[in-house]
Amino acid sequence: MSEQPQAERKSTPEFSLDTWAVLVALFAAALIRFGLIPRVPW
Amino acid sequence: MAAAIALPQDPPSSVSTKFLRLLPGLALLFAIGFAGKLLEKNINAYAKGHHLAVPNIEYVLWAILIGLVISNVFGLAEIFKPGVATYEFWLKAGIVLLGSRFLLGDVWKLGGVSLLLVAIEIAGSLAFMTFLGQAFGLRPKLTTLLAVGSAVCGVSAIIATKGAIDADEQDSSFAIAAILALGAIALFTFPLIGHALHLSDHAYGVWAGLAVDNTAEAAAAGALYSDAAAKLAILTKTTRNALIGFVVLGYAIHWARKGEAHAVGHKAAFLWQKFPKFVLGFLLISLLATVGFFTKVQNTALANLSRWAFLLTFAGVGLRTNFREMRKQGLRPFVVGFIGEIAIALFTLVLVIVTGHLFGF
Repeated sequence: MSEQPQAERKSTPEFSLDTWAVLVALFAAALIRFGLIPRVPW
Repeated sequence: MAAAIALPQDPPSSVSTKFLRLLPGLALLFAIGFAGKLLEKNINAYAKGHHLAVPNIEYVLWAILIGLVISNVFGLAEIFKPGVATYEFWLKAGIVLLGSRFLLGDVWKLGGVSLLLVAIEIAGSLAFMTFLGQAFGLRPKLTTLLAVGSAVCGVSAIIATKGAIDADEQDSSFAIAAILALGAIALFTFPLIGHALHLSDHAYGVWAGLAVDNTAEAAAAGALYSDAAAKLAILTKTTRNALIGFVVLGYAIHWARKGEAHAVGHKAAFLWQKFPKFVLGFLLISLLATVGFFTKVQNTALANLSRWAFLLTFAGVGLRTNFREMRKQGLRPFVVGFIGEIAIALFTLVLVIVTGHLFGF
């Protein structure tokens, strides 16, 4: 498989700005939920 | 096998290069937003310490004003542009996180009322803007773009419609410039009108969400009134955004039937493609908050994180607004947009006041 031509390798999926925003927000929510970010000051 | 042949990819290092290019603009957004926050805090503290009656100017307004001055007086240097353009990303992430402040029942109740008002607003705005465009002799596709921009959700709707109806670059630039200029005017006039009419936070928030076209400006117009108004403005505006696919699909079919745009293949796939995914993220976080997935402290942390995201957004709103660039686009689309927006603002104001009496807000 390592000799597979580079042209045939599948590229990573392209996410829209919307989807990235959702993923980043959910990731941040998970960090807060599981205690990795204990508090966020304002 | 032909389908498996990929186009040449950027070298792996380009990801880090792209990220590095964002840093100056991101730093500028943060510096402006934080300066706004410091100004609000320190001016209030000074006024209190010296027994001065100074109106409370929120960080939102400071951030927008500083951004406007930089953009219109000094100009935004190229190095900052990629990072500043991320303000829309922060807006959407902020809206998703704001879901923690809404229990799903509230979303259902408020969203239900909003949905009814949004449906009336969209139908009325599309009809009126189309009439105005025709009366002023604007090109038909420019009229469509202005109608969609003012009825649904500003720049995103114009960009989505442009692709669907094969409109040209010039028409979409006209429409975007008009919608952005009008959004900037709404930012400063809506809170003044709201206070003059003694609108409740709820009524004002729904009005801002219905009548201000761009999501960032609607959120800012709400935040300039109060935190509660900002929440309602964002919820109402998000309801409007959720309907973007249906409106764009309708126009795509209309122009395809006239033979002036490509035909729409799979309608469900088209709707999904145009649907703003951050609405789903907002509903998911709201659902998690409703079932008690987050503690009270965690809910506060999520809300604060959302405020930081909005702080970057509001700085971006000011930096993105360049009146000189807008003036270059010509007067007629702006005049049509201006008359239309005043009519829509008045129409939705009456709608909100009447509904407020009926539903008690």
